[in-house]
Amino acid sequence: MRGRIDSRALFAVAVTIATFTVWSSSTRAPDVETGYSGRLVSIQSLQTDFGDMCYAERIDPFERNAAVPAGNLFNAFDDTAHAAAQSTGNGVEIARPPVRTIRDTYPIYSSIAVDTQFNEIALQDTNLFGIKVFNRLENTPAGVEASKPTRVIEGRETDLEYNNGLYIDPKNGDIYSVASDTADNLIVFPRSASGNAPPSRQLKTPHRNFATAVDEEKGEVFITIQYPPKVVVYRKQAAGTEQPLRVLEGPRTGLSDAHGMAIDVQKKLLFVSNWGNSSDYQVAGSGQFHLPSITVYPLDAKGDTPPLRTIQGPKTQLDWAAAMAIDPEAGYVFMANDLGDSIIGFKETDDGDVAPSRIIKGDKTGLKNPTGVAVDGKNKELWVSSLGNSSASAFPLSANGDVAPVRTIRSAPAARTSVKFGKPQAVAYDSKREEYLVPN
Amino acid sequence: MNHPQIAAFARLAKENSLPTRALEGQKTKISRTMHALAYDSVHDEIIVNSPLAQAILIFRGGANGEEPPVRVIQGPRTQIQGTDYDGNDQMAYDDVHGEIYIPVDRNKILTFSREANGDVPPLRVLTGPDTGIRGSVRGHARVGVDPVHNLLIVTSPAAPGSNAGASMLIFDRTANGNVKPKSIINGPKTEVGGGSAAHAATDKGFIIAGCGTASVCAWGINDKGNVPPRWKIPVQQITGVAPSGIALDPAHKEVIVTSGNRNRVMTFSWPEVF
Repeated sequence: MRGRIDSRALFAVAVTIATFTVWSSSTRAPDVETGYSGRLVSIQSLQTDFGDMCYAERIDPFERNAAVPAGNLFNAFDDTAHAAAQSTGNGVEIARPPVRTIRDTYPIYSSIAVDTQFNEIALQDTNLFGIKVFNRLENTPAGVEASKPTRVIEGRETDLEYNNGLYIDPKNGDIYSVASDTADNLIVFPRSASGNAPPSRQLKTPHRNFATAVDEEKGEVFITIQYPPKVVVYRKQAAGTEQPLRVLEGPRTGLSDAHGMAIDVQKKLLFVSNWGNSSDYQVAGSGQFHLPSITVYPLDAKGDTPPLRTIQGPKTQLDWAAAMAIDPEAGYVFMANDLGDSIIGFKETDDGDVAPSRIIKGDKTGLKNPTGVAVDGKNKELWVSSLGNSSASAFPLSANGDVAPVRTIRSAPAARTSVKFGKPQAVAYDSKREEYLVPN
Repeated sequence: MNHPQIAAFARLAKENSLPTRALEGQKTKISRTMHALAYDSVHDEIIVNSPLAQAILIFRGGANGEEPPVRVIQGPRTQIQGTDYDGNDQMAYDDVHGEIYIPVDRNKILTFSREANGDVPPLRVLTGPDTGIRGSVRGHARVGVDPVHNLLIVTSPAAPGSNAGASMLIFDRTANGNVKPKSIINGPKTEVGGGSAAHAATDKGFIIAGCGTASVCAWGINDKGNVPPRWKIPVQQITGVAPSGIALDPAHKEVIVTSGNRNRVMTFSWPEVF
């Protein structure tokens, strides 16, 4: 009975949509020169600025019409076209739904953090906008599409959008996350957070955050800013508009399109990966491309301090190196080497054009565009999140070469690769190949 | 955003379709904040901003993987300049006349030949108080070009403190120096100012751009003053997501709209404007 009712309802909806589609498609266009009569369909407030391209929409992606003001007269209509004319103050509104939509329905993981006290893995999803938490020992069986998270922080109240660097407080399990595009903030969730939960704390930051790290001894949180490139250091408990304790920036620092970061609190060192895109926005024509690099500073560096050492050159294999992690006991700094489909490890003392001492790469690894990496010193594991296949894998901390992970958490079918969308703001049409060109 | 690829999708791609190819990697020199992109159908090339390195990159049309650009416009003589917030992120391309238009420094439009390479000066610089060109609070004006009707279309926000609304300034395509626009579309009825740059649907003489209330609108090329758009797709009302970038596919009478804030590419049939 229910099926028959649903079928009739669906048929009625289909007829309605088809009728509106035919009607709206055949609606005569207002002539460019003359226009024609019609009726008023809306009154809208005057837009005074089109704002900045990186501002957030602040709407719930799951709620249709969520951001349409209640007083907007379009609310009176439903998927219809209404003809009017310029002469009467309005044009024609087309309300046909899109004929096609490209999107990825699976998570795209940008970052990873390990909670060794509570045995959990946190993954930052920059496609569906949330943080997914799994048991550390989860291992998605073959034939299963995806593992189920133990909890998910997701929804408009969370303020999570294009977030990136994750950090988990080793004492209380608080999750730190920095916004890498639209929100310009550091947000903190208690370990108990789940669902559409607001962050317990927010800190306003500069635009274009990438990575974060915490010096638990001194109670300081570090954040890399891609451009203009800098490292900002705040009190760990900073909130609101509190200003940084210190800032590392300037032409002598060698910072250029800063990305990943790691700190060694024992050796008092700060490591930053740079992609090499450089310019002074205050000086026209000052743009330059440099080779990618890892720059090393004293942990308390500030101002225009030059690096102690710079790892840079063709031997390094750096190729869009994203997150970094330190194994302080072994003295290695690991890079999630996105385009290399690899994890590369350098000695903390390396300098100049040196090859990585450790490379985890190959078919057995399952790595695909890795952008997140974390060291679990307690369980002697190296965790890697792959942006390219919605997964996270654990390797022995001593792994090297083409080695299989000891466990893999998948959030998509095995062997499926990701669309790798990340804020596709623009688009062009390649008429020769009949293709859409979509930049992130 | 941590993976600044340029992905190519088949025109009929749909949910979970994978790209046919992706331009990505260190050697491409591409970086984040690519808010503009163009395809040169005459010379089969891709033109894109390098937002953080004050450059324009030109690739082969079929470029794939970690392929370097064939030309790079960059250097002190170019005058290319970004802002701290948006970088050098806007651009339009005229494939009929082979020219690249770049809004910089909030109130300038630079024009380069498509053949430019290295540290070369612009062919023309449109700037000055008479132009009315303004950038947004932290970024640049938006620019579009109609090569058939020889129009340069600049979308400028209102002056700070003004409630005059955003304006669409329409210049001769080759305007140079401190010149006034030929016409201005401005006023409360116009809805000008949705963020996306203007694109020209040249056969019927429409200008397509983002507009107020998260929509995509079409104005006539001869429109001026306080006139409403002639056509409008209320994208957010229909789909729940706001529009970002726009591209036109005249052959199939479709408009392609991205949602930068929601990771989607949507295609609308819009035969009325083609």
